[in-house]
Amino acid sequence: MALKQISSSRCFGGLQKVFEHDSVELKCKMRFAVYLPPKAESGKCPALYWLSGLTCTEQNFITKSGFQQAASEHGLVVIAPDTSPRGCNIKGEDDSWDFGTGAGFYVNATEDPWKTNYRMYSYVTEELPQLINANFPVDPQRMSIFGHSMGGHGALICALKNPGKYKSVSAFAPICNPVLCSWGKKAFNGYLGPDQSKWKAYDATCLVTSYSGSQIDILIDQGKDDEFLSKEQLLPDNFIAACTEKKIPVVFRLQEGYDHSYYFIATFITDHIRHHAKYLNA
Amino acid sequence: MEEESGEDLGLGRSTAPKDFHFYHMDLYDSEDRLQLFPGESSRIRREVTQAEPTNEPREAGDSKNLQKEVAELVHLYGLEDDHELGDEFVDEHRLGYPYGMRRRDPNRGQRGWGLSSEAAEAEDLGYGGQGLPGQCQDLREAYRYTHGRASEEYECYVIPEEEDEEEPADVFCVTCKTPVRTVEKDFEIHKEHEVTPLSKALESAKDEIHKNMCKLEQQIIEMENFASHLEEVFITVEENFGRQEQNFESHYNEILETLAQKYEEKIQALGEKKKEKLESLYGQLVTCGENLDACRELMETIEEMCHEEKVEFLKDAVAMTDRLGKFLKTKTDVELSAQPEFEDQTLDFSDVEQLMDSINTVAAPSAPVINPQAPNSATGSSVRVCWSLYSDDTVESYQLSYRPVRDSSPGKEQAEFTMTVKETYCSVTNLEPNTQYEFWVIAQNRTGPSPSSEHAVYMTAPSPPTIISEAIRSCEEAVLICWESGNLNPVDSYTVELIQAETPEASGVTESVVGIPTCESLIQLQPGHSYTIYVRALNVGGTSARSEPATVHTTGSYFRLNKDSCHPWLTISEDGFTVVRSEKKTFRRELPPTKTQFTRCVAVIGNLIPVRGRHYWEVEVDERLDYTIGVACEDVPKQEDLGANCLSWCMRHTFASTRHRYEFLHNRTTPDIQITVAPKKIGVLLDYENSKLSFFNVDIAQHLYTFSCQLHQFVHPCFSLEKPGCLKICNGISMPKHVTFF
Repeated sequence: MALKQISSSRCFGGLQKVFEHDSVELKCKMRFAVYLPPKAESGKCPALYWLSGLTCTEQNFITKSGFQQAASEHGLVVIAPDTSPRGCNIKGEDDSWDFGTGAGFYVNATEDPWKTNYRMYSYVTEELPQLINANFPVDPQRMSIFGHSMGGHGALICALKNPGKYKSVSAFAPICNPVLCSWGKKAFNGYLGPDQSKWKAYDATCLVTSYSGSQIDILIDQGKDDEFLSKEQLLPDNFIAACTEKKIPVVFRLQEGYDHSYYFIATFITDHIRHHAKYLNA
Repeated sequence: MEEESGEDLGLGRSTAPKDFHFYHMDLYDSEDRLQLFPGESSRIRREVTQAEPTNEPREAGDSKNLQKEVAELVHLYGLEDDHELGDEFVDEHRLGYPYGMRRRDPNRGQRGWGLSSEAAEAEDLGYGGQGLPGQCQDLREAYRYTHGRASEEYECYVIPEEEDEEEPADVFCVTCKTPVRTVEKDFEIHKEHEVTPLSKALESAKDEIHKNMCKLEQQIIEMENFASHLEEVFITVEENFGRQEQNFESHYNEILETLAQKYEEKIQALGEKKKEKLESLYGQLVTCGENLDACRELMETIEEMCHEEKVEFLKDAVAMTDRLGKFLKTKTDVELSAQPEFEDQTLDFSDVEQLMDSINTVAAPSAPVINPQAPNSATGSSVRVCWSLYSDDTVESYQLSYRPVRDSSPGKEQAEFTMTVKETYCSVTNLEPNTQYEFWVIAQNRTGPSPSSEHAVYMTAPSPPTIISEAIRSCEEAVLICWESGNLNPVDSYTVELIQAETPEASGVTESVVGIPTCESLIQLQPGHSYTIYVRALNVGGTSARSEPATVHTTGSYFRLNKDSCHPWLTISEDGFTVVRSEKKTFRRELPPTKTQFTRCVAVIGNLIPVRGRHYWEVEVDERLDYTIGVACEDVPKQEDLGANCLSWCMRHTFASTRHRYEFLHNRTTPDIQITVAPKKIGVLLDYENSKLSFFNVDIAQHLYTFSCQLHQFVHPCFSLEKPGCLKICNGISMPKHVTFF
């Protein structure tokens, strides 16, 4: 589990680094970004995991969102993994932008030829946290998760499938109900097979209906002018209805005029960091 | 005497100029010496005392000179580095001051009363020289003793511990009161004795000594106080006697002058009388002589005639007879024109007698001078009036009169009150608070009353104010407190006193805010404490009693609802924190628009303290209730809905057919926000510093929304109910930690 530092840059008093390692879960070299706030020099800090959306690498978030300032202020270590295994030489992995490379969907694939490498769920919930806990000054008891679009879906399912593991969760324009949208159907069909009942285990809206566990506070921001919202890829209303039904606290903010881009993320990233800091630094 | 002093001090007196007389210092030196050599009799001292006036040709009696002399003397004797001794000199000089009275005596002797110098000396001693110096000396010694003892006692703080180098004693034999070695105690004389460890014995001995030291210190303090009191008495006695001496002096001088004048007058009158008498007698003698000459001439003429012939004789005789007849007819005055005796030589000493009498009988006093009112001398019902007399006057009592100063209608005189007092001050009680009274005073003695003093106006202190407890508003850093004056007339200012309730042992006033001109004050406080607050009113006369206390907790922000702003359909519960809109009230009529009262929107506004910090409060709501809560400026349009303008920022909840709708309204706009769990208790955080207003679901610590609002003026909590129901406001609570992130 040797870590190879790819880059390290000072940022808001802390360090924005990128590492590469050989993933056991994914059986390939994986890169991840980690931001170490100034506070990490003197003690252990909470860890906040960011899951990126379709087509992204570890670079998008750290170069575009501008999260570092807020993370520096609140003293959070922010970890941003890649979105899928890369270079596994699986046939068809680079055929489309919404499946295969850059589109791991944070599931553990059960279907060939994906099931060997495409175990992003285990990677982000198990392997990566262990790696981080072992190599960086983080408090293993204090972690939260958030993400964007497909990563928003990933953040929601990670939190809902592991009550108590994450102190808080938030999402930007998450794919809330993948079993009902075309992106989700395509991915789940490929990774999990045609049995739709298996899909529910990776669907946030479905998971909510069966959620029972510790109180979790969910913050969701959604651009009102998001093209994927109107194309019904995201379906946040279904998720909100389920949460209302189950009395799971969600604040859903439909932001007038914003689209699906990182400009939208950059606008509200501070609110999300603060949302997590409230629970992580409580 | 000089020889003795020189020897004693081991320094040649010759260094001092010959005509340098320090007779009083000599005296003290002698005394000091006498203390050092108690064998010598006090007779010497007596001699010294008696010798003084003759040795002292001129004595200024000026204390400055005296101090100078002391300093010089100290210098001469090379004592300047010995401060204690120097101090003692000064002390003695001060203590021995009564001697100064006596030092004036030679002057008086020289003034020429025709008394012998012995008599003057005797008089000096009679004036209290004899008794006083003796007493004074005793006291001085006693005083010095206490001082000396004090320094000795302090040295006792250090208790030298004797250590046996070879084998230190480690136990203490209580019976023998001596430290012994453990090995000794078992078989020597201490065998049967009670022993304790040495350290314990040392401790108890130290304790004992310390206790005694404390007692001694106490005693020293008492004795020092007593000594300083005695000093005061000394000074008073000196002053009183000095005054009486001056009195006597001036009176006797006056008498002597009168007598001398009388003598002059008498002598002059006598001389004149003598001259007059002599002149008159001389005149008579001259006339007498002339008559005698005339008679003799006549006799001679007649004798000549007798020797003449008859015819001649007869011829001449007729003429002679005529002339003789004429001559004899003129009277010869043989009555004495002046008597040799004195006439009317009784001496009139009545004026002298009167003067003599006046030494003991006094004139009626002159008008006393009434003092202006001393600051802070009055209470709400009393003033302390002070005045002074001229020092020459003898006064037996004063008549103090007063009346209230009021704008009374003409013909309606204010009642006057008069009282008789012995002192030059009087506390006049049972007065009205915050009222002016006019005072004047007349001194009187057995000869009669003085004219009246000027009239002086004194003022009683105000009545205590009343804190309006319903109007108290507070936050973590401050309190806004309002009160009613309690006085009809205006007062000068108010003072607020704060006592931190957590520290009852420090029962004193921890803080006072003074000079408050109005009936309200914003006071900075420390967060998280309880304070008891009192208010006092002040005027020139003094300070009122404390108001009834008010208690303030600087936990969270505390406000009350402004009843004047309350829409008529809303009722505020007795405790002031529950707002109710009842079912039955329906629209009846349009209310006229006002600036203070909500007339269209069924709302009420709270009175938040105007402090630009962070304020937090909570509101309990029913999940199905339609409500609007938030903040609004005081002058928010009362005819508009809350959130429908740029002067209010609100969260509105509407519930329709199982659907909750949450709006965060400012200027009629709201972001699109969905909340899955309906809050039952909403936390509101108003943060002036960061220009933010945040709302929270308290029960699950969920952040709902944050307004970024430029708050140029102060805002107040506002509440409205769009449907029947009730809101409960919770304030004075500390901010939960989770809200501090927003």
